[in-house]
Amino acid sequence: MTQQAYLLQPKISEVIGNINKVMIGKEEAALLSLVALLAKGHVLLEDVPGVGKTMLVKTLAKSLDCDFKRIQFTPDLLPSDVTGVSIYNPKDREFEFRAGPILGNVVLADEINRTSPKTQSALLEGMEETSITVDGNTVPLSNPFFVMATQNPIEYEGTYPLPEAQLDRFLIKMKMGYPSPKQEMEMLSRTSGAHPINSISSVISRDELVDLQKEVDDVYVDRTVNHYIIDLVTGTREHEGVYLGGSPRGSIALMKAAKAYAFIHDRDYVVPDDVQYLAPFVLAHRIILTSEARFEGATPEGIIEELVQQTSIPVKRNIGE
Amino acid sequence: MNEQKSGQSFMYNLTIYIIGFFLFCEWLLPLETVTNTDDVTIFFIYAAFCFFVSFLQVQWWISMPLKFIGLAFIIDGLYVAERIFSRDWFSVVYNQIMFNIQVIQTQEWWQMTPLFRSLLFLVLLWLMSYLLFYWLVVAKRMLLFVVMTFIYVTVIDTFTIYDGKWAIVRTFILGMAALGLSSFAKEMDKESIPSAWYKRVHLWIVPLVAIIFFSTVAAYASPKLTPQWPDPVPYLQSATGGPGPGGSGNAVQKVGYGENDSQLGGSFVQDNTPVFRAMADGDRYWRIESKDTYTGKGWIDTLEGPTTTYEADELEYKTFTDNVESEEQTAMIRFQQGASFQKLVYPYGLGNLEQTPDNSRFRVHTETGEIDTYRGNSLSRINDYIINYDYPSFEYGQLREAGSDDPAEIRNQYLQLPDTLPSRVRNLASQIVSEEDNRYDKAKAVEQYFSNNGFEYSTTDVPVPSENQDYVDQFLFDSQIGYCDNYSTSMVVLLRSEGIPARWVKGFTGGERIDAQAAEYTDEFQNTYQVTSGNAHSWVEVYFPEIGWVPFEPTQGFSNNSDFFTEVENDEGDTAAADETETEDPTQGNPQQMEEEETSTGSQGGGASSGSFLWVYIVSGILAVIGAILYFTRFRWKSTLLRRRIKRSGDADTYEQAYHFLLKLLDHKGVKRNPQQTLRDYARSVDRHYQTNEMRQLTHHYERFVYRNESQDVQTGKVSELWENLIKKALS
Repeated sequence: MTQQAYLLQPKISEVIGNINKVMIGKEEAALLSLVALLAKGHVLLEDVPGVGKTMLVKTLAKSLDCDFKRIQFTPDLLPSDVTGVSIYNPKDREFEFRAGPILGNVVLADEINRTSPKTQSALLEGMEETSITVDGNTVPLSNPFFVMATQNPIEYEGTYPLPEAQLDRFLIKMKMGYPSPKQEMEMLSRTSGAHPINSISSVISRDELVDLQKEVDDVYVDRTVNHYIIDLVTGTREHEGVYLGGSPRGSIALMKAAKAYAFIHDRDYVVPDDVQYLAPFVLAHRIILTSEARFEGATPEGIIEELVQQTSIPVKRNIGE
Repeated sequence: MNEQKSGQSFMYNLTIYIIGFFLFCEWLLPLETVTNTDDVTIFFIYAAFCFFVSFLQVQWWISMPLKFIGLAFIIDGLYVAERIFSRDWFSVVYNQIMFNIQVIQTQEWWQMTPLFRSLLFLVLLWLMSYLLFYWLVVAKRMLLFVVMTFIYVTVIDTFTIYDGKWAIVRTFILGMAALGLSSFAKEMDKESIPSAWYKRVHLWIVPLVAIIFFSTVAAYASPKLTPQWPDPVPYLQSATGGPGPGGSGNAVQKVGYGENDSQLGGSFVQDNTPVFRAMADGDRYWRIESKDTYTGKGWIDTLEGPTTTYEADELEYKTFTDNVESEEQTAMIRFQQGASFQKLVYPYGLGNLEQTPDNSRFRVHTETGEIDTYRGNSLSRINDYIINYDYPSFEYGQLREAGSDDPAEIRNQYLQLPDTLPSRVRNLASQIVSEEDNRYDKAKAVEQYFSNNGFEYSTTDVPVPSENQDYVDQFLFDSQIGYCDNYSTSMVVLLRSEGIPARWVKGFTGGERIDAQAAEYTDEFQNTYQVTSGNAHSWVEVYFPEIGWVPFEPTQGFSNNSDFFTEVENDEGDTAAADETETEDPTQGNPQQMEEEETSTGSQGGGASSGSFLWVYIVSGILAVIGAILYFTRFRWKSTLLRRRIKRSGDADTYEQAYHFLLKLLDHKGVKRNPQQTLRDYARSVDRHYQTNEMRQLTHHYERFVYRNESQDVQTGKVSELWENLIKKALS
């Protein structure tokens, strides 16, 4: 990473510092998670088990002084296991609501593609609205509310792939990736003592987080940059290897993410660099490739990278619309 | 310390600049040889003046007028007779410029007048002085100019008759000295060694001089490859019909009507300045005067003959008798502004004039036909007039039968020849006419002698007779190259030595037909002819008893503008030769000149037009060089312009332009940015390249301007400082 990447917003810098204490070489993933968190979006982590997805989310939640919940999705999980259920209390002779894990601040939805679509949608609908309905009661979700879902790569057996319309709910989709041998070496030497996650404390309170989210909203996006975003998204619709291009929601997502990314870098305006960096993470899961392109080995990430390489950056104020 | 340093750099600049001036002189030197420029000294002087003014580095509003005044003085001295900066002066110059602009618009390059050409050239010198100053002193770039000078000298040497042998040696020495000095100065600058310049002169000046000396001597003494190609110059000359063998011309004159003909000979510069326009029924000789006494060098007028003064409506001057058939015709003359002279220009058979100014009077010299124009009692110019004249047609039979019974006064005046005339001229004359039995055929034989014997028409490389040489003798036996004066004088002398009275006539040929339109005063159509200085001409009049003076045209490439005819009843032998209305052109065997004569009377000889084309080439060549210089230094002068603009107004547009100019410059210097690269990313690679962080800083500011829509103080703030530093880094 470049020198400038370290010039972070002070609060964010502390969070990243915390994560660095616990995880090794997961800075980018942490940063992207924070982007989604600050932009009030959610993250889909797609990776094999054991690369630190859960640990990342836990560390993040702990650094944020947030209520952390985890749902392990299995094929037999029911929607009520996600949302919570009303249970008859014989003592009071009343049904009383037992909140499900979705009512936490930071929710880890592990292996989301291993459960049935019915259960998946219970979570995904909750992500879209700010409340859920259980037994006729509308229960508001916590604020902040941040879902990090993980899924095994879809080639694995026994999975229910998320439909495209639901993938759209995630602001960012990313892979964790394996650590480098050097990082793994360090990891091994570190795990010998007490687990570092126990030694970290929260650096941002829940209210502070809400304030930060508001500040992100105020980050300035110029016409020129919006133009660039639209150029990129339009590019996905016109690319010959793409069956279904990015939607306007994709453009909005990219803009929101770019705002958060700019804020994290302690800037109150978005530059095309932000958009360039985020485009693969924000757009790749929103496009569907043609079967020919897939057959030729193209990946959505590759196509987005290609578009980024092809789209001119606006460098003048007057861009002549 | 500072003063010392600036003193040093002043000395250095001065030296470099002087060397630059001398190198520039090498560019001007060949002009004398390869073009028709008579004297390049004046250009040297003006170039030196401009260089000097440029070096003073005064404000433009001082240097511009200075240079302009210098230019005006030169134009005045060379071309304009009026008092400098008077109203007339400006009107003459203005008219010239307007005419030339027209000429340029119609792409008739050959019509451009010398004044305008010189003006353009002087402006060129002006520009060059500035450019070279910038190049040598400000940008400190010597190499390109030195190399270009070499190329120029070698090209000129190869393709023209210019001998660049010493020019190349001079260029080499000057170039080496300049390069040595400039690289020395750059080295000093780089290592920031102060003040060694003066103190230990021998340390650097001795090696420099030694290197230059030894390499010059070595280069000069070392064996050289013989030319690998045949010399292209003779080929080029024959292709353009340029100067052939023959004496080298000196004392170049300007073509045009002048009164002093006592020293003929030498080359002249073709000049197509318009003199007048004539509306007439056909090509006419426009006569001005004749001269009677040949001195061996030229013509003088010894006849203080009787003069008569007429009013316009009673004017009459005829050189032929009533025995000659004639037709009443009308012509209108309109002089170009300022081009007229105080003499009447008229066709043969002059009758009265119309539309002359009220009190105009005309003094006719009966013998020479010179007609002075008066208004009141003082000589004056008359710019517009209509001439009624009797256009004569000479009948061949009449001419042949005229005999040789000349009146005594004609014999006394028009058989004069100098005692110094070599006898071989007389011998040649009798040889030419030996087979003819009548005066007309004798005259015709002499008239055609030149074209039948390989005489060459040329306005350049025409020799001036030496002190003991006869003008005609030199032409007939020695040079055999010349223009109308040579031909007509020779014909008169040859005829006179055979006892035929003849005289030498001056005026203009018919000029170039430019238009035909309905005459203003009759229903008929008349032609309009443009007569220029280049149409100034001399021809011959031969006396025939009972008939009078008959014009003859010995000059190659010209045809007789008088009318000749044969009466049908006359003996048959004549008809074949005489069907044409005009005499046979003496141009057989020279179709090229014939063609030129037909297409444009203005360009009288190949030599002259190739000369003016060479001018065009040289001027366009230099313009191309300037263009190239401007192109190659575009980033330098653009950055200067932008810097000034920033100082003047630091608005958003300027900011954006300045930043993008920097991007272009960096791109040009090899730090490429493709349009998909973000500014930040690019700034990083620029900074890596120049090992600085200024581009990132500047880009950060610029980003805030473009992506944050933030207005910034460009003029005084850090932005302009960063920008200038980066420009400097990129340009160095």
